[in-house]
Amino acid sequence: MLQFNCVSKRFPGAVKPALDEVSFSVGKGRICGLLGHNGAGKSTALGVLLGMIHPDSGEAFIGGVSVQQSREAAVSRVGAIFEAPAFYDYLSGWRNLKVLTAYSGGVPESLMRETVAWVGLEKRIFDRVSTYSHGMRQRLALAQALLPEPELLILDEPTDGLDPGGIVEFRHQVLELRDRLGLTVLLSSHLLTEVEQICDEVVILQGGCKVYEGAVSGFQDGRKFYRIDSENDKLTRKLCTDLGGEVFGDKVAFPVEKNPADLLTALVAKGARLSRFAPEAGSLETLYLQFSQSTPESGVETGAQIR
Amino acid sequence: MSLFFNQLGWELFRLFARRRTYIGFGVFLAVELLFFYLWTHERTQKDMEQFISRVAGGFDEYFSALTLGFLIVAFTMLLLGVVFVALIAGDILAKETEDGNLRLILVRPVSRLRLLLVKFLSCQIYTSFLFLFVGVTALAFGILERGWGGGMLVWTPELPRVSLFEWNEGLFRYFLAIFGFSLIYLPVTGMAFMLGCFKIKPAAATILTVAFCVADRVLSSIPIPAFDPYRDYFITSRMTAWLFLLYQDIPWARLLESSAWLFGFGLTGFLIGWMAFERRDVKS
Repeated sequence: MLQFNCVSKRFPGAVKPALDEVSFSVGKGRICGLLGHNGAGKSTALGVLLGMIHPDSGEAFIGGVSVQQSREAAVSRVGAIFEAPAFYDYLSGWRNLKVLTAYSGGVPESLMRETVAWVGLEKRIFDRVSTYSHGMRQRLALAQALLPEPELLILDEPTDGLDPGGIVEFRHQVLELRDRLGLTVLLSSHLLTEVEQICDEVVILQGGCKVYEGAVSGFQDGRKFYRIDSENDKLTRKLCTDLGGEVFGDKVAFPVEKNPADLLTALVAKGARLSRFAPEAGSLETLYLQFSQSTPESGVETGAQIR
Repeated sequence: MSLFFNQLGWELFRLFARRRTYIGFGVFLAVELLFFYLWTHERTQKDMEQFISRVAGGFDEYFSALTLGFLIVAFTMLLLGVVFVALIAGDILAKETEDGNLRLILVRPVSRLRLLLVKFLSCQIYTSFLFLFVGVTALAFGILERGWGGGMLVWTPELPRVSLFEWNEGLFRYFLAIFGFSLIYLPVTGMAFMLGCFKIKPAAATILTVAFCVADRVLSSIPIPAFDPYRDYFITSRMTAWLFLLYQDIPWARLLESSAWLFGFGLTGFLIGWMAFERRDVKS
């Protein structure tokens, strides 16, 4: 459904590229989380995908159509929500939808009413947007994103500023859209728990480079994380790898079937001088922090996980 | 094509739904009232009476609602026209980019050229509506003061001689001139719009355009004979072309020449703006 092919972009005057030969793909009906610190290149990637930013090289494809070659055709079935969506405050929510959908070729009023009701704005849709709360603006943003009847939904920090109830509701709405309409969703966020709960897969960007692409469940299931401190770090890392572990900085992931007591005994027996060997919850956060703290240039010690 | 007009319609709706649109109209109305007061002041009327008696004969006949309306329109626009048109055209794209409204439009399957055309045309239509508003209200003030009927007298330094019209002909020429007046602002719209297409603050687009027009006016007015061959290259010289519509006999060739020049300037501004905007990265 969505494909990024070796996309690079360096903004004028910037020392480092915002995107450096980034490639990834998202299959139809999947929810993919795009993760990274501020300045990692998430917004640039979304900009390239929507044709708002021109890449120096590479191409983005939506449904097999190149955004750079035929933008209008590529984004015809795309809906997008940005962080703090800016509407025309002096118009009602309904008029805003009318103005925006006019640029999508217009949509029937029945569909507009249906969508407005689904996002729960039917009682306030004819009020001025200036009177809306942040949560209501976000609902309106979701409505405008759904009105082109999209196949791909792009969400850029959609829950920023929402209260916990709003975040949960938004999460349910996204999951329902995927299940009911089969939408593909690309979600850029720095809320790791949110990504963990709704995404099937994640792409982690760091300094404009992709450092991880894979299933969210891939690094939770079947592995257990340990925090290891040792006096002979280099040897310990090698021993861990020999024992079937994957090293992420000071953490190591071993298959769950490995007994911690056996691992500890084996490491000590082979000469590792350990000062700590503590199990840690294997979470997206653990992985994300490992990747985001390791620059691509320094070489992230993640073996097969780096694609 | 109907989709384009639908988009244009909603863009105009959006422009006219803003509160500051009406604040702008209110400012024009206030300035019109000021000039109405000045032109109907006792001392001004005495001077006008002398002048009209000398060039046309009957003061009561030719100091009509149309003459008064023309004077109010000309002076109001001289004072506010460039600033307001530059404000609208410089604001329409740059402000939306700055506020983030444009992002929600740019994700839609619409080309940047079409988007710019919609915005540019809505600016031009808005400008024409504003001029019509000023024309109608100025005439209304004139009718309140001088009543319906009478002749129309037009004289400005650009005219070779005083133009005199009967009421019906004068009414037609009055609104024809108002329409022409709104079109000759195309270079101002084009320039402010072009600047707004670059990564620039909305106020900067307006200020640069106004500064350019003021400099152009000053340079074109320098009373040095060596400057004469170049005077026609200044847009503010060409922008007096609307007065051709108030000549007793309209000089169509000169009008066409100036119109083509002004249209070319406005179009060039639009095209440069389009090229800049097409290449521009709009960050989300």
